[in-house]
Amino acid sequence: MAIIERPSDAVEVVDETTPSVATPESSYGVFRRPVETTGWKSWLFTIDHKKLGIMYGVVAMFFFVVGGIEALLLRLQLAGPNGTVLSADKYNQMFTMHATTMVFLFVMPMAAAFANYFVPLQIGARDVAFPRINAFGFWAFLFGGLFLNTSWFLGGGADGGWFMYAPNSSVAFSPSNGVDFWGLGLQITGIASLTGAINLIVTVINMRAPGMSLMKLPIFTWMVLVVQFLLLFAIPVITVALFMLMFQRSFDATFFSVEAGADPLLWQHLFWIFGHPEVYILVLPSFGIVSEILPVFSKKPLFGYPLVVFSGAAIGFVGWGVWAHHMFASGLGPISVAAFSVATMAIAIPTGVKIVNWTLTMWGGKLRFTVPMLYSVGVIVQFTIGGLSGVTHSVAPSDTQQTDTYYIVAHFHYVIFGGAVLGLFAGMYYWWPKMFGKMLNERLGRVNFWLTIIGMNLTFGPMHIVGLQGQPRRMYVWTENRAGDGFFNIGFWNLIASIGSFVLALGILLFFVNIYVSHRKGTEKAPLDPWDARSLEWITTNPPKEHNFDRLPEVGHLDEFFHRKYEDRGSDGHHEFHQIATAEEVVAEEENNADGHIHLPSPSYWPILLAFSLPIMAYGVIYNVFLVIGGAVLGLVSFYGWGLEPHTAPEDDYDPPTGTAMEVAAHG
Amino acid sequence: MFTTGSKLLFGASGASLVGTLLYGILVGGIMGTVGLVSLTTGLIFIAGINAFIRDANVASDDVSQFSGSAAAAPRPASSVWPLVVAVGGALIALGVVIHEVLTITGLVVVLAASAEWLLQGWAESASSDESHNSEVRGRLAYTAEMPVAAAIGLGLIVFMFSRVMLGVPTKASTIIAFSVVATIVLIAGAMISRARSMSAPRMFGLFAVVSAVLLAGGAVAGFNGEREIKEHKTTAYYAELDKCGEKEISADEHASQTVAGKANSSAEVTLDENGLSYTRPGLNMVQSGVIQLPRSNANNILFRNETSEPRRFIAEMANVDGSPARICTALVEEGGVQLLTVNYSAPSFDPVVEESGGYSFVVAGLDDRIEVIVP
Amino acid sequence: MSHEKVHYRTICNSERATSSLENMSSRLFRVATTVAGVAATTVLAGCASDAPQDTWKPAGPNAQKIQDLQWPIFLTAGIVGVIVMAFIAFCVVKYRDRGQAIPDQAHGKAWLEYLFIAIPAVILTAIAIPTVGVVMALNDTDDTECVINVTGQQWWWEYDYEVGADGTICGYAPSEVAASPIITSGQLVIPADTKVLLRGTSRDVIHSYWIPRLNGKRDMVPGRVHFLRLESDTPGIYAGQCTEFCGLSHANMRMETVVLESAHFQQWIDNELEPYQAPAEGGLAAEGETTFIAQCSRCHQVNGLVDPGNGNLVVSYPDQFVYSGAAPNLTNFLGRNTFAGATWDLLTPECRTDVWESSPEEFGDKYLAGVSQDCLNEIDLREWLRNAPAKKPMYADPAMLEQSDGKVRGMPYLGLSEDQIDQLIAYLLERK
Repeated sequence: MAIIERPSDAVEVVDETTPSVATPESSYGVFRRPVETTGWKSWLFTIDHKKLGIMYGVVAMFFFVVGGIEALLLRLQLAGPNGTVLSADKYNQMFTMHATTMVFLFVMPMAAAFANYFVPLQIGARDVAFPRINAFGFWAFLFGGLFLNTSWFLGGGADGGWFMYAPNSSVAFSPSNGVDFWGLGLQITGIASLTGAINLIVTVINMRAPGMSLMKLPIFTWMVLVVQFLLLFAIPVITVALFMLMFQRSFDATFFSVEAGADPLLWQHLFWIFGHPEVYILVLPSFGIVSEILPVFSKKPLFGYPLVVFSGAAIGFVGWGVWAHHMFASGLGPISVAAFSVATMAIAIPTGVKIVNWTLTMWGGKLRFTVPMLYSVGVIVQFTIGGLSGVTHSVAPSDTQQTDTYYIVAHFHYVIFGGAVLGLFAGMYYWWPKMFGKMLNERLGRVNFWLTIIGMNLTFGPMHIVGLQGQPRRMYVWTENRAGDGFFNIGFWNLIASIGSFVLALGILLFFVNIYVSHRKGTEKAPLDPWDARSLEWITTNPPKEHNFDRLPEVGHLDEFFHRKYEDRGSDGHHEFHQIATAEEVVAEEENNADGHIHLPSPSYWPILLAFSLPIMAYGVIYNVFLVIGGAVLGLVSFYGWGLEPHTAPEDDYDPPTGTAMEVAAHG
Repeated sequence: MFTTGSKLLFGASGASLVGTLLYGILVGGIMGTVGLVSLTTGLIFIAGINAFIRDANVASDDVSQFSGSAAAAPRPASSVWPLVVAVGGALIALGVVIHEVLTITGLVVVLAASAEWLLQGWAESASSDESHNSEVRGRLAYTAEMPVAAAIGLGLIVFMFSRVMLGVPTKASTIIAFSVVATIVLIAGAMISRARSMSAPRMFGLFAVVSAVLLAGGAVAGFNGEREIKEHKTTAYYAELDKCGEKEISADEHASQTVAGKANSSAEVTLDENGLSYTRPGLNMVQSGVIQLPRSNANNILFRNETSEPRRFIAEMANVDGSPARICTALVEEGGVQLLTVNYSAPSFDPVVEESGGYSFVVAGLDDRIEVIVP
Repeated sequence: MSHEKVHYRTICNSERATSSLENMSSRLFRVATTVAGVAATTVLAGCASDAPQDTWKPAGPNAQKIQDLQWPIFLTAGIVGVIVMAFIAFCVVKYRDRGQAIPDQAHGKAWLEYLFIAIPAVILTAIAIPTVGVVMALNDTDDTECVINVTGQQWWWEYDYEVGADGTICGYAPSEVAASPIITSGQLVIPADTKVLLRGTSRDVIHSYWIPRLNGKRDMVPGRVHFLRLESDTPGIYAGQCTEFCGLSHANMRMETVVLESAHFQQWIDNELEPYQAPAEGGLAAEGETTFIAQCSRCHQVNGLVDPGNGNLVVSYPDQFVYSGAAPNLTNFLGRNTFAGATWDLLTPECRTDVWESSPEEFGDKYLAGVSQDCLNEIDLREWLRNAPAKKPMYADPAMLEQSDGKVRGMPYLGLSEDQIDQLIAYLLERK
């Protein structure tokens, strides 16, 4: 076995006066704990929030590519009338899986990637509250996502749309196993989201650095906190719905069987009471990222920080009271429709507050248009368009003309691509040097940005027209009979949208090129503080050490890092900021006062094993009940293993063992 | 690799496995095989956990072993297990004479107590540190003890309670259920408010009393047998027997006179002194005589009885052979509402349907009718 | 066409309203209004094009109510958008880093923040009040003059016309009393200037009925009855499409609403209820009748059809073969001009243009003429008869039917010979 060197800064020196009995910490485990710090094992069994964050990001990007290819196929099919690229069946599977992949396997985990990596750093903690649950969450997400996508090879993906309305999701109407894979896969990723949510909530509430009151919490962390509460309450609802669907399909339940007296609208209510908060789950992390980036490149604090925080929380609350605006055409009755219509308008207010505050953050600033800043401004502009088209269908009668047409497709792509995805890209460019120690190439980044913006507007802009001209969604073909002619004919704009989607794809491709170019041999290491940043995650090395901070930072300001670097030398209400320290000096100061005893939990086999038992059981539900038992046994063993395992590895798992002289001697 | 403790347990598992095989092949009794298989599984499980925790590591790197040798070992703690094993043995013997249930119970008691005994003995010699010993015992035993104890406890409560509930008359069972819950809540509340920090023995005593009452009640009720449970016939059953008549039948006693879903029915039929009339949602108009309903689809019809006596609403249908068929609601009392779902599979102009007399809505005992047209 | 006139007038008014804003001297507002003007022109142009499902081109009072509500909101949204964009552009240009000093680290201004909460709140309140009014107005069905039952199933719509207590259909007395009420599919025929109430449900999954130029959409949910009001004063064909995803052939589930003026509607009713006329003996159509009885009548009803072999009335029982339990009634098949879920035309392209784009005055006669032999689009109809599931994706493959109790969803492949198809077409040509 390779000699594994134990990271010296993680050593806890055993006090000589401790009674020399066998302590629990050194008495469990037949196997060595996977304590490697390099190699594949260091990733597979890691419980380090930073490594998990990176893995979340990598997997999310993989699924982004998968979902993107699905989207391109959809657009190819719709480029001309009576498209023949995909069959009706494949097309239905494709749009279902495109939405499912983008929502559950790209945007949510990408936000989780940033949340995992940066929440502990932003609050000055050494890890999340439950590191092993964190690892479990990631693996459950990965296995759930892979499980979901194996349906492509096992008889076809789900074909009921991501909203999976009953009774079209019943076995009689969707005889393949696609919907089973969909329901079970989302239950697994739901477990991941739920554990992650609990973990991050506990982390933010309990593990903040000394001095960091809630109103000094960085805005990204705030938005992540709101999102975790949304997840905490939304995921159980969809889980209930998915359970019902599973029982309906696999065990002959009749929750949605009309002939047995069921009302199919039950599913719609359950789905949208999850589905609407889900929209905020998707966009709020990006709002947080943008709210971090704008102040940095404006050299001003976020305008109206408390208001941005409260509007985020308000969106989180009001977001629960608007679900039926997805159902204006469902036949709810005029009273419900009117009430939800007005509630939906109300939620536009806190959303508008964010846009105004972002713009006012730039007002009077000192703006540097780096790539992250470009993306952030892109978010403001594109999201505003999506928000305004949203107002037009908060008006219920107007919505009955627009719902289920391409106008809605245009709207939510401006919101989710323009709001969430652009924000995530802003975050990637902004935090890349922090995560990987290299800057992404700025010039390529600009091309990447402009191609993405042009591509997205070419793709989704024309959908407004196509939708208002009456083209419904989810149709595998459109016909010239219904296309009309003249400047606004549906055919022309469908073609433009298809071309736009490839421009957009090219833009995204450039991002990957940029990663390659920026990480070639010989590219320079990123400076410690490339952006002149303001928050806590920058008071450490690039990338951060395993234990994040040598000394847990003490916080006195909202923009702590900025105030350590700059000092106000003005007087009598006149402000004059001067640099008093470089980032290097600030970090060196921390290093010089490093804590002596740093306690880090050890890696573990059990999270990945426990997560792995989930897809096994899910396959069992579809194919054979014995697989369920097999999976359950693995799960049970993992539970016991997890429960019995101490949080740090015993000394003799290290090779050579380090620790007290007596123990070494005993081994000898 | 193998520690002292795991050697013992692996050995025991092996021996037990061999025993199981021998018994299974040579003797082959079901109960014996099940018992031995269970023993083997249990031993392998405990052996696995023991191997995993490395025998609580009374390992070579533990200097305290020298001071913790047998001579220096503290006196073992008192143990209840010898007593329990003895009781178990007695039960087995009694069972041979009285009833086999006692034998099986005794067997289970002996096995469980022996396992606990073994575990206690092992844990007490794990190291010289008593607190550590009790901790390793806990880590090993609680994982099995807690779920099993909880399952047995909850199972007993549920089973005994169900015996009591099934043994007493329906009305009484409701009263019992609520009074038991209320009593428990009240007593617990009173005790907690009186003595904010109740001592463990008193708490235990309380639980013991409650459990004993429950067990006793359950046992009595169980031996007493279940009460006679009546089977309720539905209107569908009577419809099949062609008994949708004017008379009251037993299904009518249990029919609800209110309906939750009223917003999306196909039609609302009202019977008043002027006879049968209907309104259809979306249309503010009272109609009578003829109603048109779609074919091959479930039509929910609400029937409202506004007369001064109970009435039964009937849908006259047709069988495939042209004979009349009918489905009906339960008897609807004055002012009551009931729902009837009708699904016509053939159009009303089908000769088969015409032969049977056509589709219509009628009320038992009255001549008035609404003809149903199905296109 | 009066509704459209109203529509254009209101849009023009709005343009004038926006121009009045130009008096404001602020550069920002001038930029904003210019772009808003462009946006308004765009909107106008959008109305001017003639996609048959244009949501901005109301042809009846219900759609008009929606339009009157929505255009000011679109305009408001456009203006707000332009102002925000201009504001962002201003910041981006003005405050670009030109070496200015580090700005004050102020965290905001309370009054400004309250102002920016108040402004959207006021705008949204102004939108909310008329919205609630229109929601209520659109759902008011008290003055209904005509009821038609609409039933959706995979993947076509069925309509049956409610016969009133007075024996009339939508107030029109048929000249003959028929055994069965009118039952059609695909094309819904309604009288002009009549407040029609659709009473809709579904036989399998959720569908949505949507004729954009007449009203917004309404889901038709199995087990529930939902309502939708349609009304128009302009005769013509109004296109629509199922807008709730309903499975495999969702894209091929279309419908049209045909508006006929009073005399024409009476004519249409009389024609629908006309007694069955058997084809002349010995002709191709008579062979077609035999083929129809043998191959099609299990599921497709032709009212009044009598089997010449045994003299029995032929009644179809689609619920024994089709999962949803229904198949289109073909009594007056070629009286309609689309088929298979209104997806394909029964008219050749030239004849289609002639009927669909005729003036409101001429439309009624042209529509009621039905499909003649010369105008019949044989290509699509033959393809359909040869192998329906190959033309329109449906679950008619026996391997897929296990889950639906062996019943098909859609029309199965029947293995008809070319001769049989000739006979059937000859027979169907007389069904109008």
